[in-house]
Amino acid sequence: MRPFLLEGGSVSQMPVAEGKSVQQTVELLTRKLEMLGAEKQGTFCVDCETYHTAASTLGSQGQAGKLMYVMHNSEYPLSCFALFENGPCLVADTNFDVLMVKLKGFFQSAKASKIETRGTRYQYCDFLVKVGTVTMGPSARGISVEVEYGPCVVASDCWSLLLEFLQSFLGSHTPGAPTVFGNRHDAVYSPADTMVQYMELFNKIRKQQQVPVAGIR
Amino acid sequence: MSGVRAVRISIESACEKQVQEVGLDGTETYLQPLSMSQNLARLAQRIDFSQGSGSEEEEAAGADGDAQDWAGAGSSADQDDEEGLVKFQPSLWPWDSVRNNLRSALTEMCVLYDVLSIVRDKKFMTLDPVSQDALPPKQNPQTLQLISKKKSLAGAAQILLKGAERLTKSVTENQENKLQRDFNSELLRLRQHWKLRKVGDKILGDLSYRSAGSLFPHHGTFEVIKNTDIDLDKKIPEDYCPLDVQIPSDLEGSAYIKVSIQKQAPDIGDLGTVNLFKRPLPKSKPGSPHWQTKLEAAQNVLLCKEIFAQLSREAVQIKSQIPHIVVKNQIISQPFPSLQLSISLCHSSNDKKSQKSATEKQSPEDHLYVLEHNLHLLIREFHKQTLSSIMMPHPASAPFGHKRMRLSGPQAFDKNEINSIQSSEGLLEKIIKQAKHIFLRSRTAATIDSLASRIEDPQIQAHWSNINDVYESSVKVLITSQGYEQICKSIQLQLNIGVEQIRVVHRDGRVITLSHQEQELQDFLLSQMSQHQVHAVQQLAKVMGWQVLSFSNHVGLGPIESIGNASAITVASPNGDYAISVRNGPESGSKIMVQFPRNQCKDLPKSDVLQDSKWNHLRGPFKEVQWNKMEGRNFVYKMELLMSALSPCLL
Repeated sequence: MRPFLLEGGSVSQMPVAEGKSVQQTVELLTRKLEMLGAEKQGTFCVDCETYHTAASTLGSQGQAGKLMYVMHNSEYPLSCFALFENGPCLVADTNFDVLMVKLKGFFQSAKASKIETRGTRYQYCDFLVKVGTVTMGPSARGISVEVEYGPCVVASDCWSLLLEFLQSFLGSHTPGAPTVFGNRHDAVYSPADTMVQYMELFNKIRKQQQVPVAGIR
Repeated sequence: MSGVRAVRISIESACEKQVQEVGLDGTETYLQPLSMSQNLARLAQRIDFSQGSGSEEEEAAGADGDAQDWAGAGSSADQDDEEGLVKFQPSLWPWDSVRNNLRSALTEMCVLYDVLSIVRDKKFMTLDPVSQDALPPKQNPQTLQLISKKKSLAGAAQILLKGAERLTKSVTENQENKLQRDFNSELLRLRQHWKLRKVGDKILGDLSYRSAGSLFPHHGTFEVIKNTDIDLDKKIPEDYCPLDVQIPSDLEGSAYIKVSIQKQAPDIGDLGTVNLFKRPLPKSKPGSPHWQTKLEAAQNVLLCKEIFAQLSREAVQIKSQIPHIVVKNQIISQPFPSLQLSISLCHSSNDKKSQKSATEKQSPEDHLYVLEHNLHLLIREFHKQTLSSIMMPHPASAPFGHKRMRLSGPQAFDKNEINSIQSSEGLLEKIIKQAKHIFLRSRTAATIDSLASRIEDPQIQAHWSNINDVYESSVKVLITSQGYEQICKSIQLQLNIGVEQIRVVHRDGRVITLSHQEQELQDFLLSQMSQHQVHAVQQLAKVMGWQVLSFSNHVGLGPIESIGNASAITVASPNGDYAISVRNGPESGSKIMVQFPRNQCKDLPKSDVLQDSKWNHLRGPFKEVQWNKMEGRNFVYKMELLMSALSPCLL
């Protein structure tokens, strides 16, 4: 398991506002990385599908069903992650998708909820950097930056190192510590932590959907 | 008659039949009436012939009358009458007894006469001598004794023989039983070590490693034979065992895998003709039956065959820059240029021919026993892998495969981890890697050793680690000067010898990667040794109180070295009068110059510029020291002498 940092690359925070498109911003970032000396290592993809509990299983009080996110990460090609917001994270093998089809009666897939990020994977010494474009349907909605530092398994131990590294190519747009590490400082980093961060990022981007920021197109 | 009713009178005849007995229920059992002949016979019995003889008519007539009377009367009454008559007669005739005797004599004479007359005719009667057992002669009792003794002796002998026969029978039976028992106990022991099954009336065993996960198609069956038809009279050989095993002919003898590395490629003609020399069969351990060694040897042959089959299959499949060659019982691969790794299967049956040819060419040093052992380990690992991939129980929903592979999904393994699980490196690739490593290691050792023996000053010490990985080992190289180990330990190198290359970790953390070429390591060590001398001077200067004026590991001036760079140092004496400059190159060797104060140089031409006497304290020109004529056993010692000579006397 490798500590990992996900940069909340929403559009408003990125220099996109200066009049560049998402695509241009991504190019800018990757060019910076390449100039640093990072090596291109193929592509990556993280996708997320939202399920909500079916109406038949809900209580009569009319409470809203919990949302469940089923995610895949190309870094863990044999795994499938199922997460609840603020809830537990289940790690299963890829057969889980088939199981979800069987569980139609309890969990229904939200329409057009699929959100994913695709991009290039870079290796720079011990750092693994993934810069991706977050897309929802046909439109690009943001940028995600993931930085992983291989040799360390406790995130808080290498947080400042990650931050410094991020500053080298993001400039001032560095994020605060992810909330995943908020309450546990010495915990060993796990892949589930990565997926929680991606889920939070996707939710953040989804909420911005209603108020499209200028400069996206 | 007419008027009176007739009275019925039943007339019953008197019982004609005599009643024999009356039963309790009143039934009478009758005697059957006598037949005519029987009656006649009875009557005839009654006639007293002696009474009615022809001499007295009267008597006869009387007798006749009597007879007539008697006929009707009851027999018992007649008898009584007659007795009464007989009693009465003696009183009648006083000479009666005489008469009776005469009469009987007459009768007998008459009879004799009749008989004789009849006999004389030889018509109805003949006289034959009556056969009578003749009495045995006089010696008879002795013979009889002898015969009887003989008889009884024969009887006794027969009994003894019978008994003996029975005894021998039981003895042989015992022996057979014992053999049978031995066979069974041997079978039991065999069963504890080997898989056996019964097919028909045969007992078959399994030599193969199939149950351990082997996929080798050889059936590896052996047959258990009962070896009980041994001649019981002869002495049983010591190694006799009632149980024997028959091994398939292709598994007989001994086999081993030979791995060797040769420097130059052999002639093509030599390919595939590895000598099948026979190693002596391992002596059976005392107490273990000989079938055990036999089976173990056969199993070893089977395993060697499997290893070789696997290796040759991989050799054909794997694409490498220099293709692997498989010829007969040999696989040849080139791990490094002009270096050849040969793996061969040596299988020798027990005939003496192969044994003879073996001893001639055997050269024991080109055996890589470690690799041979590792091949065995690898195939067993391979077996285990195949075994564990099909192992039950298995979750119904999970895909088939290795357990770690199955867990990789739920445990969220990343790409690298999955790759490491899926490493499908074959036996051949692994063994080639190991061979490369072993070769590189031995070559490194040889290089260091040759340098150490060739160059005395400075000294090289190599500390090899005892515990290695199969693909990596490390050695610590120290370069020191004799007598100054404490002050000159600047050069400490850690050499990590891998498969293809050697990584050198310097004491200060620099990492240098050397290729497998021998020359690279040698050059590197030579340059390090030359640097060491300069470092040593620096350390020495510190100890002696000299000042370091300049120091350079890589001097850019002067003649260019073919290996590395020269290094140089300049040190000044404590009072500043003298300076020593040392330039040491790996190839050019060391050059030591001493700078004297100006006032000590007599031949120095008077300068027009430096008129003032204070300039005399400036150091003058350098003069080279004839270093090889200096006293001292090594460079640092010489330097120490030089420094102390140039230092002012403190006294």
